[in-house]
Amino acid sequence: MTPNANVGSVTNVPNTQWLLPFGWALLLLISIMGMPLLESVFRWVEPDARQVIYSRAAFYELLGRHVLVVGVAAVVTITAGVLAGIAVTRERGRDFLPLVGQLASLGQTFPPVAVLALAVPVLGFGTLPIIVALMLYGLLPIVRNTLAGINDVDATIKEAAQAMGMTPWQVLRHVELPLAAPVILAGVRTSVTINIATAALGATVGASNLGDPIIAGIVNGNMAYVLQGALLIALLALSVDSAFNVYQQRLRRRLSAF
Amino acid sequence: MSLIDALPSPALRRRSWHPNSVLLCLSGVMLASAWLFSLVSVAPNRIVTGTSFGIVDAIGWPGAALISMLFMAIAALATVPSQGHYRAILGIIMLTLLLMPFGLMVAGHWLVDASMPQARLGIGAAYWTVLFVLLLCLVELRLRLGLSRWWPTLILSAIGAVWWGCAALWLGNLALVQEFQARDTQFYQAVKQHIALVSIAVGVSVVLGLLLAMLMRRYQRLQKVAFALLNFLQTIPSLALFGLLLAPLAWLGANVPMLAALGISGIGNAPALIALIAYSLLPMVRNTYIALEEVSVETLQAAKAMGMRTGQRFWQVRFPLALPVLLEGVRITAVQAVGLTAVAALIGAGGLGTFIFQGLGQAAMDMVLLGALPILILALMVDAGLGALADALRPGGQE
Amino acid sequence: MIELSHVSKRFGDETAVDDITLRVAKGKFCALVGTSGCGKSTTLRMINRLIEHSSGDIILDGQSIEQYDPVKLRRRIGYVIQSTGLFPHWNVARNIGLVPRLLKWPATEITARVEELMGVLGLPVGEFAHKYPHQLSGGQAQRVGVARALAADPDILLMDEPFGALDPITREKLQDELAKLQSRLHKTVVFVTHDMDEALRLADHLVVMRDGRIVQQGSPLALLQQPADPFVDSLLGGLERGLKQAALTRVKDHMTSLGPTLPAQSRIPTDFSLRQALSMMLRDHCDRLTVVDQNDMPIGELSLRRIVKEAQLDKVSQRDA
Repeated sequence: MTPNANVGSVTNVPNTQWLLPFGWALLLLISIMGMPLLESVFRWVEPDARQVIYSRAAFYELLGRHVLVVGVAAVVTITAGVLAGIAVTRERGRDFLPLVGQLASLGQTFPPVAVLALAVPVLGFGTLPIIVALMLYGLLPIVRNTLAGINDVDATIKEAAQAMGMTPWQVLRHVELPLAAPVILAGVRTSVTINIATAALGATVGASNLGDPIIAGIVNGNMAYVLQGALLIALLALSVDSAFNVYQQRLRRRLSAF
Repeated sequence: MSLIDALPSPALRRRSWHPNSVLLCLSGVMLASAWLFSLVSVAPNRIVTGTSFGIVDAIGWPGAALISMLFMAIAALATVPSQGHYRAILGIIMLTLLLMPFGLMVAGHWLVDASMPQARLGIGAAYWTVLFVLLLCLVELRLRLGLSRWWPTLILSAIGAVWWGCAALWLGNLALVQEFQARDTQFYQAVKQHIALVSIAVGVSVVLGLLLAMLMRRYQRLQKVAFALLNFLQTIPSLALFGLLLAPLAWLGANVPMLAALGISGIGNAPALIALIAYSLLPMVRNTYIALEEVSVETLQAAKAMGMRTGQRFWQVRFPLALPVLLEGVRITAVQAVGLTAVAALIGAGGLGTFIFQGLGQAAMDMVLLGALPILILALMVDAGLGALADALRPGGQE
Repeated sequence: MIELSHVSKRFGDETAVDDITLRVAKGKFCALVGTSGCGKSTTLRMINRLIEHSSGDIILDGQSIEQYDPVKLRRRIGYVIQSTGLFPHWNVARNIGLVPRLLKWPATEITARVEELMGVLGLPVGEFAHKYPHQLSGGQAQRVGVARALAADPDILLMDEPFGALDPITREKLQDELAKLQSRLHKTVVFVTHDMDEALRLADHLVVMRDGRIVQQGSPLALLQQPADPFVDSLLGGLERGLKQAALTRVKDHMTSLGPTLPAQSRIPTDFSLRQALSMMLRDHCDRLTVVDQNDMPIGELSLRRIVKEAQLDKVSQRDA
C-alpha cells in the first residue's frame, strides 16, 4: 500500500478497537499471576479438597507450552497451507486442484478429537503428536480458504493484470494474494481457534498445557482445578480470536470495494 | 463443492492428451508406502507394542508382486487417460480394496501364533496409507468420470460390508476385532448414546435456532447481542466450556434436590447437552438468519404484489427458498456435534469418545481406534446424508 | 502495424477463429463487429498473446509475435476491457501508473505521466487520484481504464467492448472523446464491439465476423453501400442502412453554391451530417436547407433531390471501382 492509500473516503480506523484483545490478554495475564490469590474463592468451590490451586506446574509454564504448541503448528500450517493453495492454483499444479479442493472440504468433517486420537497410535504420546495432529487438522481450513480466496478473485482482474504485462509472479504477489488476503486470514483464524481448543485435549495424550488442570480436575473430582484451566483456556482463546477479528476488519475495510 | 464446479471442464485443456499426473503421483505414493512402511504388526497382548513386518514378510513374494502390479497398472492406465481407462482404474481400486482384508487374513495365518489366544495382529502404517490414498483416488475418479456423490457412498458401503463380513468370520486375531469382541454390547450402547446426544443437541438447536433467527429478524437489537454472545461461546474451547459448566451444575445438583431428581449433576449428560446446544446454536442461527434474509427482495415484492398474505409469503415463498441454506446450517451443526460429543465423554456423557479416552488412559491404541474410526465414519455419513438432502431440496434441482 | 494472416484458433475440437486474414495499418482504427461468440474477442486476445493462436502468423511491426517475450509484448500494447479490470485494492493513480511502474520508470516520471493522462481524460487529479475503483461511476472507471492502457504510451491499443456496460448517454460521450483522442494520438487501435453504430462511428476499417470467420471487411461506407450478404445487411440495420450511411457523410460534401432562388428558411452548419440534414427537412417540411458557416453566414445550399441522386452515384461508382 502506498502511504496515502487510505486518504479519501476510506476512514481511518480508530485504535480503540484494539482495546478488546488487549483487555482479554491483560485479564489472562492477571489471572495467571493472581490465581493463588483467589484461593479463598476456590476453597469455597471445593471446601473438602486438600488443595484448591493446581500446582503440578506453574500456570505461566502451562500457558507458555500451550502457546508454543499452537504457535509452532500455526507457523508450519500457514506456510504449508498457503503454499499448497498457491501451487494448485498455478497452471502447472492445476491438475491437483479438484482433488485438493475436495480433500480440504471433506477434511472439515473430520472431528479434531478423532484426528488427535488417530495420531497417537502412529506418533506416540507427548507434545510431538499434538503438534503433528494440530498441523494436519489446521492445514485444511487454510488450504480451503486460500483456494477459495484465490479462485474468487475476479477473472477479468487477473486477465487485466496479465494483459498489462505483469509476470505470473507479479500477478500473484500484487493482485491475487492481496485480494485473497481477507479470506486467507479467515482460514488462519479458524485454524488457530480450533487448534487452541484441540491442543487443550492434548492433555489427555500426555502433553502438558492448559488442558492439564481440567483433565486432572475431572480425574480427581476437583472442580477448582477444572475452573482454573477452563478460565485460562477461554481467556487465551478470546484474546487470540479478538485480535484476529480486529486485524480481519482492518483488512476488510481497506478492501471494502467488494 | 462450489470450488470444483467453478473449474474449467477438462475439454478446454490446451492439449487434448495429457497424462493424469494426480493418479500417477498417488499410485507412486502407494507403491512406495507399501514397500517402505510396515504392513502389519504382531503383539503377544493388547498393551505390548508389536513387532512390525514389511510387505514380503506379511503376504509373501506373490502377494507383494500382485499388489505392486495393481498399483503399476493404475499408473500405466493413468498415463494415457480416457473415460474407459478411468473406469478400468476404478475397477482396480475396488479390487484392491476388496483384497485388503484377505491380505490381513494371510498375514494373520502366517505370523500370529495360534497357540497364544492373546496374540493379535495390528494394522501397520502401509495399510492405512494405502487405504487413505485409495480413497483419494476414488475422489479423483469421481471428478474425472463426473459421477454423482452417491456412487462413492454406494461403492464404499458395499466394500465396507465385505470387510465387516471378513472381520466377523475370519479375522478374529485382528487387534481391532478383538477389542470390539471384548466389548461389543458396550460398543453398540456407545454408538446409540452418541447418536442420541447428537440428535437431541441438533434437534433442540434447530428449533431454538429457528425461533431465535425469527426473533432477530423482528428485533434488530437482539440480533447484535445474540450474535455477539454466540460468537463468544463458540470461541471458548470445548474442553473449557465443558469444564466451566461442570462446577455450577454440580453445585445445583448437590443443593437443589428437584434438579438432582431430574438427573442434573456435574458429571454426565446435563453439562454435555448444555454445552453441545450452546455450540450448535451459532452455526444454526447464523445459517437460518442468513437463509431467511437472503431471499431476494424482488421475489418477495412480487409475492406481495400478487396479493399473498404475510403468512403465505413466509411459508410459501421465503421459507422454501431459504430451506437449502438452512439445511446447510443443520449439516455443519450436526458434523460439529459428532466431534464435540466425543469430547463430552471426558465429563462422563458416554458415547464413542469413551473408548478414545479410556484407550488413551490404558495406552491401548486399538481401543482408541475403536472409538475414533466410528466417529470419523459417523461424521462422514452425517455430512453426506444431509448434504444430499440439501441438494435434493434445492428449488430447481441440483445446482 | 498489425498483420494477421490465415490465423486460426482451436479449443479442442472446436474452432473459435477460422483462417482470419486482416491488416491494420499504423494509426488506423479497426473495429471487429459480430454477435457474441463469433470469435472477435478471441482474435483480439491472440494479438497480445493472452490466447496463443493455433496456426497462421500474427505480425507486429514486421516481427512475428511469437518472437516477442509475451510479458514484454503486453507492456507495449494497451488493453481496455468492458468491466475495466481495475485493481480494486489500488487507488486511481496507482492503477493508471501500473505499466510505467512495471517498466521501472522513475517515480517522478510516473507521477507526471499519471497526472497528464488524468488531465487528458477529464479526471481532475485532486478529486480522483486517491479514489478507489468502487467509488467511481461506470464512465469514470472506464476513463481510468483507458488512461491505464495509454500510460506507457503504447503504439497499439486493444479494446474489448470498452463501453458495453455503460448507459447510452455516457457511452456516446466516451465514444466522442475516444474519437477526439484518436485524432490527436493516432494509435493503431483494434476495437471489439457488438454495437454496429459504435463501430460505424469510430472505425476507419470495419471487420464483420461470424462463426469465427470474417464475413466482410472494408471502410464503413463501403460496407454500408454494399453489404456482402443478408447477415451483414441486417447487422448494418437493413432498411436503416441509408440513414446510417447519411450519418457518415458531412453536409459540406453535398452542398451546392447558393443559387439564384430565395435561400431556404432552415439553416444547417457545414459540419453536420447528412442524416441530421434529412431529419431537419422532415421536421421543417421542406426539401431545401441553407448551409451556413461557423459565423452563421450562408455559404451554400442542400437539396433533397441532390442527396438522393448522389447517394445513387456513390453506389454506381463503388460498383465500378
